[in-house]
Amino acid sequence: MEALTIIYLVYAFVSLYFLFLFSLVYLQNKKQMLYCPKANKIYSLDMVVPCYNEEDTIEATVKSLLASDYKGLNNIYVVDDCSTDSSYEIIKKLAEKYNKVIALQTPKNIGKAAKAKNYGAKFAKSELIGFTDADSFPDKDAISKAIGFFNDEKVAGVTALILVKNRENVIERLQSLEYKVIAFTRRLLGFLEAIYVTPGPLAIYRKKIFTEIGGFDEKNVTEDIEITWNLVSKGYKVEMSMPSRILTVVPDNLKQWYRQRIRWNIGGIQTIKKYKSLFFKKGALGSFILPYFVLSWILGVVGLSILLYNFGKKIFVNYLSTIYSVEAQTAVLTLRDISLTPSVLSFYGIFLFILGLSFTIFVLSFLKEKNYKKEGILSLAGYTLFYLSVYPIILVASMYNYLKGRDIW
Amino acid sequence: MFNNPKRAFFEAFFLALLIFIIGLLIGVSFEDSRLDKINEYYTLSEISLIDSVALNKISDLKNISCDELINYDLSFADKIYEEAALLERYEKSGKITNEMNIAHKRYDLLRTILWTNVIKTREKCSGSLNSVVYLYNYNNNDLTERAEQIVWSRILFDLKQKTGEKVILIPISIDNNITSLRLLVKEFKINKYPAVIINEKDILYDLTSVADIEKHLK
Repeated sequence: MEALTIIYLVYAFVSLYFLFLFSLVYLQNKKQMLYCPKANKIYSLDMVVPCYNEEDTIEATVKSLLASDYKGLNNIYVVDDCSTDSSYEIIKKLAEKYNKVIALQTPKNIGKAAKAKNYGAKFAKSELIGFTDADSFPDKDAISKAIGFFNDEKVAGVTALILVKNRENVIERLQSLEYKVIAFTRRLLGFLEAIYVTPGPLAIYRKKIFTEIGGFDEKNVTEDIEITWNLVSKGYKVEMSMPSRILTVVPDNLKQWYRQRIRWNIGGIQTIKKYKSLFFKKGALGSFILPYFVLSWILGVVGLSILLYNFGKKIFVNYLSTIYSVEAQTAVLTLRDISLTPSVLSFYGIFLFILGLSFTIFVLSFLKEKNYKKEGILSLAGYTLFYLSVYPIILVASMYNYLKGRDIW
Repeated sequence: MFNNPKRAFFEAFFLALLIFIIGLLIGVSFEDSRLDKINEYYTLSEISLIDSVALNKISDLKNISCDELINYDLSFADKIYEEAALLERYEKSGKITNEMNIAHKRYDLLRTILWTNVIKTREKCSGSLNSVVYLYNYNNNDLTERAEQIVWSRILFDLKQKTGEKVILIPISIDNNITSLRLLVKEFKINKYPAVIINEKDILYDLTSVADIEKHLK
């Protein structure tokens, strides 16, 4: 059996495994998917919004927080990291108008989300502390529906359902699909106590524990992944509130999208490196989250390398044979060169594709929204056939950037 | 909350393993069914070849016309050429099992016997029988050589299409460890592959046009 066939079969097995895992977890917990416990009391909450050059969205973000129906929301600290646009002017005007809004500015541009968040967190005095990106908009009831999870003393963090706000062009629509699948699977991972990230658009932490662990790791470019691993490694629980919806703005062009993905993956590598000693130890982090991340890296990098190597060889042989064919005055391409005999692997691929597609369609029907158009077949095909195939390339590019020491915020 | 998270991991694992094994078994039987088809062809070809060899032997005792001998060799060569093309397609798409390689070796042996038969026929009949034997490496890691082999296949296919019944085309892979083939080839003192032997006289190593090859034919 060829190496590529073995890699392919390993891929097939891992894909099957996760499909079955998610399906089983869903079937056994489907009644609790939208569960959000009622809070035993009104927990005091301060929100921190880090902001850098977000003049187009910061006002709407703050207003969406102000519109929250959660009674325990005290202050909204908006931390401007010395923006070069009019963000800070907007924040100051909002602070003048609304008592809850407090305008903060870092002494100088610190250039890292984690630092800006930690800076704002120093001012918070409440039992819970929440963070919202400056381009994200929580629904009115998003916070109130998430708070009840803190009744459980072991819960240190709660994340929410993050969906895409801008869905105009292809890249935005593909990300919208991706966010839905990620949100759904994150909820399922919650049942396994294996949530691996509390993303920036909305994350709420128990302040005491947040302080105890030292807040966000300022050296990490994906502080939202790192803090989650940190909490889980210390035995705390992280939950996801599915009914808490937040809309966020995603990159609207390939260049920005690529930069964002590279940053996420570099952050992933930094976090794996930091917690590598916990491999196969310490509950969900060591036994599932870490191996899951590392396995996807290995499969992605090895699979892509072998694929590129074989593809390169094929291109080279085709190039030479074309030259030779011209010299020998024979056909450059004949019908016999086009293989129409499908291999077993093609059938496996089709089978897995259908399973994956069914899962995606199910997720979309589960998370259907009233205010947005349904995802079309083209978006679905683009997502399953092309978008997901780019992941390994991003992984390799991130590894390269990481080794070169490039830091992207 | 999930009653026992660990259970889900194990359940998913065993379920995935079960489906994976079933899939592998289906894959193996799928490839085996293709091998069965090849084996069926092979058995028929083997019968035809033995018939052809017998015909050659009988011709020593009885007066059998050269046309009959040549036509039999020709039709047999064409038949196994087509089967080899099918075998090649199945080999390329065979991923799980490697039994197609063994089938390939058996066909190479068959073609070697055919070649010896053609040599005998030519000894008896000095007519217009042309044989073009194409010797190549089946397991070839040299990319330049592999590209050359692809082009040789195209040229010889074109030649066969153009000349039809004038030429018996016999492609044989040389690296299949067949003793009889090795001994047969030894006398031609071939120093590199791929090589094309025309009528056991001319040996071509460099890629050339169909028109140039035709110059070597009777």
